[in-house]
Order: sequence, then C-alpha cells, then structure tokens
Amino acid sequence: MSASRNAREHPVALVDDFPVGTHRVVRVGNREIGVFNIAGAFYAIPNLCPHQRGPLCEGGVSGTLDYGPGTDWELAWAYEGEIVACPWHSLEFHVPSGQCLALKRIRLRTYEVRVVDGEVLVMV
Amino acid sequence: MSTAAQPGLPPSQSPLADLLIVDADVHIHEDPAGLAEYAEAPWDVGLREIATVEERYLDLPGMTPRAEFRVPFPGGSTRRQRVDSPAEMREGLDSLHIDAAVVFPDHLLYLAMVRDPRFAAALARAYNAWLYERWLLEDQSLKGSLVIAPQDPVAGADDIRRHADHREFACIYLPGSGVRPLYGHRSYDPIYTAAVEVGLPIVVHSVEAVFPTFPFQLEVFETTAAQHAVAHPFAMMANMISMLETGVPVRYPELGIGFMEAGVGWIPFMLNRLDKEFLERRREIPFLQEAPSHYIKRFFYGTQPIEEPERRQDIVDIFRLFDGEDQAMFASDWPHHDFDHPQHLFGLPFSAEAKRKIMGDNALRFFRMDDVR
Repeated sequence: MSASRNAREHPVALVDDFPVGTHRVVRVGNREIGVFNIAGAFYAIPNLCPHQRGPLCEGGVSGTLDYGPGTDWELAWAYEGEIVACPWHSLEFHVPSGQCLALKRIRLRTYEVRVVDGEVLVMV
Repeated sequence: MSTAAQPGLPPSQSPLADLLIVDADVHIHEDPAGLAEYAEAPWDVGLREIATVEERYLDLPGMTPRAEFRVPFPGGSTRRQRVDSPAEMREGLDSLHIDAAVVFPDHLLYLAMVRDPRFAAALARAYNAWLYERWLLEDQSLKGSLVIAPQDPVAGADDIRRHADHREFACIYLPGSGVRPLYGHRSYDPIYTAAVEVGLPIVVHSVEAVFPTFPFQLEVFETTAAQHAVAHPFAMMANMISMLETGVPVRYPELGIGFMEAGVGWIPFMLNRLDKEFLERRREIPFLQEAPSHYIKRFFYGTQPIEEPERRQDIVDIFRLFDGEDQAMFASDWPHHDFDHPQHLFGLPFSAEAKRKIMGDNALRFFRMDDVR
C-alpha cells in the first residue's frame, strides 16, 4: 500500500453489484487489477502472476490445505475464500496480504480499496 | 474467463513475434465419439459407449487407465485445459506466439496401460486416421505424432507404413508410461524399421501414471506432488537406458530419437551415470562404439516442464552439459496444467543464436519440417 503522491482513487464498481465472495479484474490506466470482496471487506492485487506472467486474478478463489506445526500436524482446510490460484500454474496467493504461499520471498503489492457512497474505489 | 494465455504485451509488440517458434509438444483432446467414426468393428461400439461416460482432466474411464483416486479439493487452475478443434488450438498458439506445433493426444498418453492389446491397437489406428483428417489436413501448422500401441508393435509398423505418404506427420509417438517391456526390447524392432523406412523420428512421451510395472509403481507415494515429481523423468530414464543397453541407436543409426515432457535436469545425471557404468561393464554392451554420452548428446529433448531455479544461469549451465543448445527443443505442453510460456525460456540468459536454435531451429531439424519457415 505504497500510496505515492500521485496516487488517487478510481471508482471501479458499485458495491451493490459486487457480492461477497466474488472477484473481478478491472483496468485502471494501463494496469489490470484484481478486486476481491472477501466477507464484506475489499482487497486488490495486480492481475499479473510473478511466476510466468499469467493472469493471476482470473483464477478461482478458494481456501487451501494446511498441515504442519501451525495445525498441530492435523490436515486442515484453511483461509476459505482468501486464496486465489493462478489459472496458468495454480500458484497460490493469500489475497489480503499478497503473500505467495509456495514462494515465501514473493509478496505482491496490495492496493488500498475503500467504499464511499456505494462506490468501490481503488487507490492507484 | 479467458481460455488463452494473454496478459502482457499484444502479440505484435512481443520480442517473440519476430522469432520462428516451433512447439515440440502440444495436446489435442481426442473424443471417443469422434474416434468411433474411424474405428473398426466392434471397437466403434465400445467407443460410443465410452463417449457417454463423464470425464475429468486426463481421466476418462475406458481410455485412460488409472490405478488411483484423488480427493477433489477445490482450488488450483480454472483455465480450460483441453483443446477440441484446430481453430481453438490455433487461437491458443497465436496467443503464445507459436508458429508451428507437433500435436500429441490427451487420453492416449495412457495407451500403454490399456489391457486389451486388440483395443489398444484399434485405438491407435483410429486416432491416427482421425488426427490426420480432422486436424492435420485442417491446419498445416499442426504436425502429427503418429501413435503406436506398444502392445502390438507389428500393427504399429503397419500403421506407420499406411501413413507413409502423409507428410503432415512429424514423428512416431511411443507412449512412455506404464509400458512393458521398455522400448529397448527387440520386440519393438518392427517399429524402428518402419520409422527409418518412412523417415520419421520416434518420440517417447510420458505421463504421470501409477502402474504395477517398473518404474511406474508410484503407489509408494502418498501425494500427487511426489508422484508427478518422478513419474516423467523415471519414464524417460528407464526407456533411455533400455534403448542404450540393446543398442537401438547403433542398430538404427538413421533413427531420430526424442524424449518429451520430463524437463532437462535428468539428462546430465543420466549421461554421466551411464558413462561411469560403461567404464566397468562395457563388455556387456560392446556394440556401443562410443560411451553412452555420445549417443545421449545426439538424442533430442523437449524442454517442458523447464526447471525454474532461482539463479537463471543454472539452466544455461545444465544445457551445456548435454549440448542442449543443439539438442533441446522448446515445448509448451499447451494446454496442460504445467505448460510453459515461450517467453520464459526465451527470457533465460542464452545467446541470441542459442535462443533461435532452441525455440525453433532444432525442432525443424529433428522433425524434418521442410515446409515450416
């Protein structure tokens, strides 16, 4: 959320048209951005997978499997609704944080999203 | 949801646009109803019945033998991973900047595991006729791989000769997974004789398979990640060793031999390992006039799925160990789950000349594609 001095808010949708649990790709200038409504909170990340440059946010949103010290070594379904998987090679990202699950060194930038007067605004 | 690969630059602005790109491995979807029209009786009846069965990705009961079941957790790719028509293939390849491609099947990747040898041979014959009429005659930029059923090498040789005049075929495809015996066995000699006769190279192409024959007994692993990691390279290594221990490249010096879909990391290992064996046990394989590496460096290799080390120069170094600049052929595996976009390989730190060879020229040479340029 690096709001530079030139950043400004761009309306991308009406909140009434953007149900909980859905996501879409919007264009702001020459950027493609994925906007997600996760349990009523909005998040935005680039629609560009850093792996082989696939259209990340055209992928499906789901949870993911977790298993290890954090789950007491019990197989668990986690982060339901918060994980987007790239449609090209299924690389997973945690949308609210931008964190890539497989490659810890990769964290996508996130864009600030606000809802004002029924409009969804993305800060770019 | 867009089906094709397409963010980034428009086609005309990509550095790939000016380069001849030949894709050594793409996959088309063979539908049982379509094959039924080309199958002899009574197998056409069976294929029409199979057409009523629900299928998943690379999973069609009756044509895609599987020994395991996976829990279908959601998540993962939502991209359409099958191509049903030449026009759909052309659209996908255009988005990838690919000029020409060699097509392999989907379900018949599992052909070696079909139990009934008569059905296997009939499937291969029907597929080749269907492929020729429905795909290769429709789009001249798509070249065929003529599948043989390893269950019946003589029938395979007959089919190779049946299509001898069809220059739309670029190679003979040997299903590499679940195959027994391995491709060095003398029972396959009729296939190699026919291949040399019609001037087509052979390509071993594998698939992830769990099957009770060496080296495919992957039920010892618990996860797909583990099985897939070794399924392809094990299939390649086993068949390569088999072909060298019976001297296929010595007995058929004119035969082009290629290996597809195992990446490239296994090749330097195999080459050095076999050379080491040769030092001590040459007397068992005295027909090899040179060390095994000599032959291995004359085989050809599809690049996909290209390994992705953090240090990109590592791939260039691996290529150097098997003369990859002259022997490796870009392959995308489009539209399958682990396809490689050509811009990835193109972006690695190879010389401009090496890129030209790997992205297209090596494939032109191996597949003898005289009409592509």
